[in-house]
Amino acid sequence: MNSFSDKNRFLKVLAQLVLIFGLSAIKFAYAYTGVTILMASQTPANTEFVDNFRVDLANSKNNGLRVNVVVMQESDKFAVAENSELVIALGVKALEAASMLKHTTPVLGVFTPLPVFNQILAKSKRELGNFSAIVLDQPYWRQLALIKAVLPETKKVGVLLGSASSQYLEVLRDEADELGLTLMDENVSNEADLITKLKKLLDSTEAMLAIPDRSIYSRETAESILLTSYRHQKPMFGYSQSYVKAGALASVYSSTKQLAKQAAEIAIKSQAASNQLPSPQIPKYFSVAVNQQVAHSLNIAITDEDAIYKKMLVFETRETIENEEKKH
Amino acid sequence: MLHACAAYAVDANVLEYSAELNLSEDDYIGEVPKVLTVSRLAQSKEDSPSAVTVIDRETIRASGIVDIPELFRLVPGFYVGKNAGYIYNSNHVVSYHGMASAYAGAMQVLINGRSVYSPLYGGVQWSELPITVDDIDRIEITRGPNAASYGANSFLGVISIITKDAKDSTGSSVRLTHGTGRNEAFYRNVGEFADVKYRVSASYREDDGLDGRNDFKRTNILNFQADKRIDASNEINLELGITNGDRADGEAARDFVLFVPRMRDISTDYELIRWRHNVSEDSDFSLQAYHSANRTDDDFTSVNLRANARRFTLERELRRGASLATAQTRAAVFAASLRDDQISIDNDIEMHRYDIEAQHTFVPATNWRVVWGGNIRLDTTYSPHWLGTGETDYFNLQRLFGHAEWRINDHFLVNAGSMLEHNDFTGTDVSPRASLNFKLTPNHALRFGVSSATRTPNYIEEKFNDAIRIPTINPATSYLFKQYADTGKLEPERIVSREIGYLGQVGNLNIDARIFDDDIHNIIKSQDVILTPTASIRPLRNASNFINSGDAQVHGFEAQVKYRLFKTTQIIANYAHVNINGDKARLPNGFTTSMPKNTFSALITHQFDGNWDASYAYYQTGSVEALGDGQPVALNRRHDVRVARKFNLNRVNAEFSVSVENLLDEDYHEFALYNTLGRRALVNLNLNF
Repeated sequence: MNSFSDKNRFLKVLAQLVLIFGLSAIKFAYAYTGVTILMASQTPANTEFVDNFRVDLANSKNNGLRVNVVVMQESDKFAVAENSELVIALGVKALEAASMLKHTTPVLGVFTPLPVFNQILAKSKRELGNFSAIVLDQPYWRQLALIKAVLPETKKVGVLLGSASSQYLEVLRDEADELGLTLMDENVSNEADLITKLKKLLDSTEAMLAIPDRSIYSRETAESILLTSYRHQKPMFGYSQSYVKAGALASVYSSTKQLAKQAAEIAIKSQAASNQLPSPQIPKYFSVAVNQQVAHSLNIAITDEDAIYKKMLVFETRETIENEEKKH
Repeated sequence: MLHACAAYAVDANVLEYSAELNLSEDDYIGEVPKVLTVSRLAQSKEDSPSAVTVIDRETIRASGIVDIPELFRLVPGFYVGKNAGYIYNSNHVVSYHGMASAYAGAMQVLINGRSVYSPLYGGVQWSELPITVDDIDRIEITRGPNAASYGANSFLGVISIITKDAKDSTGSSVRLTHGTGRNEAFYRNVGEFADVKYRVSASYREDDGLDGRNDFKRTNILNFQADKRIDASNEINLELGITNGDRADGEAARDFVLFVPRMRDISTDYELIRWRHNVSEDSDFSLQAYHSANRTDDDFTSVNLRANARRFTLERELRRGASLATAQTRAAVFAASLRDDQISIDNDIEMHRYDIEAQHTFVPATNWRVVWGGNIRLDTTYSPHWLGTGETDYFNLQRLFGHAEWRINDHFLVNAGSMLEHNDFTGTDVSPRASLNFKLTPNHALRFGVSSATRTPNYIEEKFNDAIRIPTINPATSYLFKQYADTGKLEPERIVSREIGYLGQVGNLNIDARIFDDDIHNIIKSQDVILTPTASIRPLRNASNFINSGDAQVHGFEAQVKYRLFKTTQIIANYAHVNINGDKARLPNGFTTSMPKNTFSALITHQFDGNWDASYAYYQTGSVEALGDGQPVALNRRHDVRVARKFNLNRVNAEFSVSVENLLDEDYHEFALYNTLGRRALVNLNLNF
């Protein structure tokens, strides 16, 4: 597959834009001495993040970063030592609040969907140099690679796109192409058409890939979507661990522990220069979730999650031919 | 090494996001209610303990079939005869591997887990089911006994019909069918109201039946289903259905004794409620209760007995070699001895079924799966004519069942299960089953299985005790017309089935084949009962009753092959070779011939483009002589074709199709010589909006 050397045009565009942002970034960098983890409430995931983050920091010997946890619910006004601390905002609410801090305060969003990060970035008029995130979105190529790894024979993959996700069609199609998959899509503009469109795709494809879009995949629609796909005896690949538990065949996901590890790495690396946060990142570490019961019922042989993960690493190394290094 | 966000990150500054976007971390890491819970996930064919054929929506559509029982012609090993019986009911016979009769009762039939098996005649009143082909999502046919999962009477096979779900899609749908002797209209609406997903369908159909038969049927059906999700782990399903209509009945030419050709009213209804509870990640509980009722309004006046008595006696005497003069005299004497020209007969029938079933599915350990549960049922039967009493009869049944699946490794899987049943007719019985599935590769699997089941005698066999008294001119004496003098206390019939099955997939070719060797014991056979005349009662004929008599062996081979060619053409072909052996003297007449030795069917579907498609079906049924009213019928071949065109009218998706059954118009017989099937054409318009 030589097409990998010809990286898709979007990465080129990305490289150019990062360059522009790079030029406009503030020249004076402060070193920060602490990390404030900001959260809207103490959910189990948030607490788990903090615990793991602390452990990861402790494990890296050469830093003296203090970790301070601020729960927004506890006080209307939360105190953050602006400029001198890295703010890690857990979740969308926390990121929104953090985006209103002084623009020189470095902010790293975690547990944030990419489209929402982009939205907040645009709205707050902040700059990428000190406003970044580890997004929740797994890249499409990684999700498509999972399909390849689980069902090597698959040729046609279906996606349902809604108002929010339809803009990604071209990216999806290019990335599917690179993996030798044909992407079939249906645009759902009206919720009433959802199942009809889904059935159309199920009839013409071998597997479905769920793309986050609240107008399509929500708690309310999960039942109809998963039952319909199951009745068609077609596997659904999800974008989250919960969707796999609910009845999707498999998904790539990053655990809280994995996200905490990546966040700790960023905190340590950019400690010296707070205005040089890396650009928004996809989850670096990931796992594979497989619903074995669904696999058995569909007569799909999946030996184990580790084997799938190892198969996928081949695609990982192909895909990440040091993109970042090219740009920096 | 850092990972760049893929290009879409950049779009942030280029694109305006609409406010509705509103994703949050909850969409990614929030809990989603478990949908495909452990009980919702069926075993794959490769893991199943028995051979399973699935008839899906697409096959139903392509076949052009409009009557549900006709669909089983597309399952290997099935025999289907249209409008089989000629008296009391003219119903399809659907049988698997033999025991075909007008009331073929050796198979369990379920609609969404509700048994529609009739205790009175055994078998199923196919035309009275509260659904049409349009309501069906798929039909799963277990070929072979499976009492451990479906209960008693899952004897030669099990038909499980699953209707379309209220969650499936929204909108309305209309079908109009017109054709040779057939008119039909169907309407369905699927939607959501106050968080309740519902599906309602209504249909009307009239069918003239076969030429020369008095088998007209008019049927109205209303069906309603609703699903209400209470919370993430609780759901309530409700189903209601009503069928009513008219059935032409009685054949003057063949049954001139009592029953006059007439129209009777039928009505059925059912109500079902089901609670599904997701106990935990790996455990599901469901509780289902239903009631169903079947009523026949059939209170009528007999044929002219005097005229028939004269004709009947004359024919009989001449057959016995009497001279014409003697025969005429005897006929006249007999006719004159009757007090009345006609008598009235109350053949009203009312049956109710009350059933509660609890089921628990769970994963006790990795690679294990267990389903167990219990079931109590009460059937009530009111049939003054057949039971010879105006009292309602009660039939109780209790059942415990369990089934475990153990996946030893990627190659071996064991299924084992059993049912323990107690019922008022036959007491307590155990029906175990076990199988080993061996997957050579994911695409090639072998199955070795042994399964047993019982068939409980139906009311005809156990409790029929009709008695029609025909008054004579002598007030102290009456004639007795009695067909059945059941003594009851029958043992259930028992089957032990052994099989080796193979499931294979090579490219676009799917093969499902098996060889089987079944032993059937305690087969119930009718025998003549000579009724003793007394001073006051003079029997006009012998009656019959039933005894457990012979054993039979059924063995053979069958296969289904599916092949997809170029994505546009699909072929399904079915073949079965079935041999029935046994001591004929101890078996019911026709037992060993009640299944054609060879049956073959094929359905070829071709998609020309997005709008046009056509299909061709071929059915070949070897010669057969069914039980009871069945007569020897010769091998027949039938060709069906269907052409369909899809089109769009504004927001309406429409399909227009024409189908022709028995294209070559080669008249042939099914079940008996009085059933002649000719060519039939249907036009069909389907609208979805």
